[in-house]
Amino acid sequence: MQTNNTLSLMQPIATISLMFSLSFAYLINPLEDSLFFKILDSFSSSVYKSDVINELNTSIIAGTLFGLFLGTMNIILSSNKQAYNYVSVGIFSFFVLIFFGYILGYEEIPYEPLQQLLFWVLIGLPISIGMVGIWQDRVGNQVLSAFLILAMPLGLSGNTNDQIYPILGFVFTYMLFLELSYGHARYSRLARIMSYSKEYESVLVWFLSTLMITLAFTMILTSLAFLFHDLLGSLLPYSFSNSIEYNTIYGQALSVLVFFMLWAVIQILFSRRYLARQVEDEIEAETY
Amino acid sequence: MWTRKAIVYVGLGVTLVLFAPFINNLQLFLLGTTILAFVAVHSLVNTRPIDVKITRSFNDDQVFENSRVSIDLVIQNKGRPVGFLEIYDNLPSEVAVQSGLNHTVIRLKSNETVVNQYLLDCKLRGQFRLGNPRLRIYNPSFLFYYESEIESKSSLVVLPQIEEIEGVNLSTDFPKMYQGALPIRRIGTSGEFYGIREYFPGDDFKNINWRVFGRTRKLMVNQFEREDISDIMIVLDAREITGTGTILRNPLNYSCKAAASLVNFFLRSRNRVGLITYGESVNVISPDTGERHLFKILTALAEVKAKGSLGLHTVLGDLRNFTPRSPVMVISTLENDKTSATALREITARGFKLTVIAPDTLDYDRDTRIISPTVYFTASASLDNKITEARSLGARAMRWNPDSVLSTSLAEVIR
Repeated sequence: MQTNNTLSLMQPIATISLMFSLSFAYLINPLEDSLFFKILDSFSSSVYKSDVINELNTSIIAGTLFGLFLGTMNIILSSNKQAYNYVSVGIFSFFVLIFFGYILGYEEIPYEPLQQLLFWVLIGLPISIGMVGIWQDRVGNQVLSAFLILAMPLGLSGNTNDQIYPILGFVFTYMLFLELSYGHARYSRLARIMSYSKEYESVLVWFLSTLMITLAFTMILTSLAFLFHDLLGSLLPYSFSNSIEYNTIYGQALSVLVFFMLWAVIQILFSRRYLARQVEDEIEAETY
Repeated sequence: MWTRKAIVYVGLGVTLVLFAPFINNLQLFLLGTTILAFVAVHSLVNTRPIDVKITRSFNDDQVFENSRVSIDLVIQNKGRPVGFLEIYDNLPSEVAVQSGLNHTVIRLKSNETVVNQYLLDCKLRGQFRLGNPRLRIYNPSFLFYYESEIESKSSLVVLPQIEEIEGVNLSTDFPKMYQGALPIRRIGTSGEFYGIREYFPGDDFKNINWRVFGRTRKLMVNQFEREDISDIMIVLDAREITGTGTILRNPLNYSCKAAASLVNFFLRSRNRVGLITYGESVNVISPDTGERHLFKILTALAEVKAKGSLGLHTVLGDLRNFTPRSPVMVISTLENDKTSATALREITARGFKLTVIAPDTLDYDRDTRIISPTVYFTASASLDNKITEARSLGARAMRWNPDSVLSTSLAEVIR
């Protein structure tokens, strides 16, 4: 029972993290700049011969809540395959109606509110997909959701240090979503294999506590990687450290990669795995 | 070792760090850096060498078929604390876990000892090796793992099940005349009391039951169980063909069960019993008596495997040294053995009192579709022919359905 509680705790936290990461993503990249929605806008304009998207409400909160609703419905309906199929066909027919209602000009079909709903569904799509991944332990859905969170809001205008706090919020919640959802999938699979035991419960507690600590250390290491750029600047020749390339995001990217390459080299030189093998051999010799 | 997740993370991190500058996107750049930092931090968590000792203890290392063995897997941590330790105790496929699990995930503190207990169901005879336990250490986010095997092997002997045989006279008409000193473990000289019957002229006066005479005024005599002491040789067919069927239901397993029951029965009647197995090679255990000899034969039966294709004639050489006119019991399906007819003829010609027990699993094999109906009819007819042939030589031969009690089946042919 205790194990189930610890496992269950991971799911709502992962869902909340998912919602927050999507919200932060749209906060950093406004929907109007999103390449995905620009493509959608041009597609709908060519089909409907009017500017449909721009007439709709682009509330991210509404979209997020709609995604939450659809994800919840999906999970509840999954328990009954027949009901799931009926509802899926119903929703599909509903959107087909919107399309034909608009194309053929049937005033009886209230296509405008329906289009609005469809738009919110699209905004909340990563949430509804991700929720299925979290609550039904489908790693494929988790990956797709993670990809959509990155890809859908992506624009070409870029972002700068002014948005550092929403960016940090996004990075933290995004990592939390990835780790908790995948962790839940793995640990619940192990829980199914093993009967409940006190030892297993302590493994779960260890996972959650270590995750929090490692996320904190990750943030520190990320800051160090950024500071390494300045350190490298002081070590490199003046002409190099003052070049335009070095002082833009390109230079920062190179510094970060050099930092992690150095990290990898140090790890190879003081290989833990090599040390482990040496000590393990001794242990085995003793055990024989 | 890197997991697939770690490789995906590093690939994604590097891609984001390299791609983000092209669209001047700090968000993706920072995310890529964070993912790389996350992997870097995790390369230090729960990846140091460990010092874990695993020992396995049984409640019994020699059991009979269909028994259960309780196993304690004692895991001792002598080194650093381990957050995630997956332990998988390798078991042979012939034994099944009845309760508990041979696979567990635990967290170990320094100098902590954890006992993982599980119960094994041993449904098949054999000599099995348990182990080695496999260890796997994961770091908490499943990014790195380290696997090793700890040398901790134990052997478990599952002896064939013994069925009690009663009321069947299987011994010789020619008991051994000069037995020599035999270890008799019972007080008294007479055998077991069997019953009483009316006196007939010629009966020994010392067997008259005077108490019954006092009560009924009728002369009645006591009857005792016959206790012949003879050398009995059991010949077991262990050719490859006897392994046909399922892992549990095949002629060899049933043959071993029959042989174990017969050996137990004869040894308890203070006879000397030997065993010859043939298949890949001919193995002989010379006739002897006693509890230790019973376990020697049972252990040999536990180790018998269906291999090779030597015919029954290969045992004739070893039977030549065996006491003439003693009982020889052949437990074989006689299937695909061209030498069987000649061999049986020679055994009977030498005066051995021959009994042939043919374990018949053909019905089961047909019902479970291991063999087709055509094969069933051919094999069944062939077996009938072999049995008839053996009977024509004066042998007591029977098709034994392993689902029926052996002594009941034997009583039908031994009258």
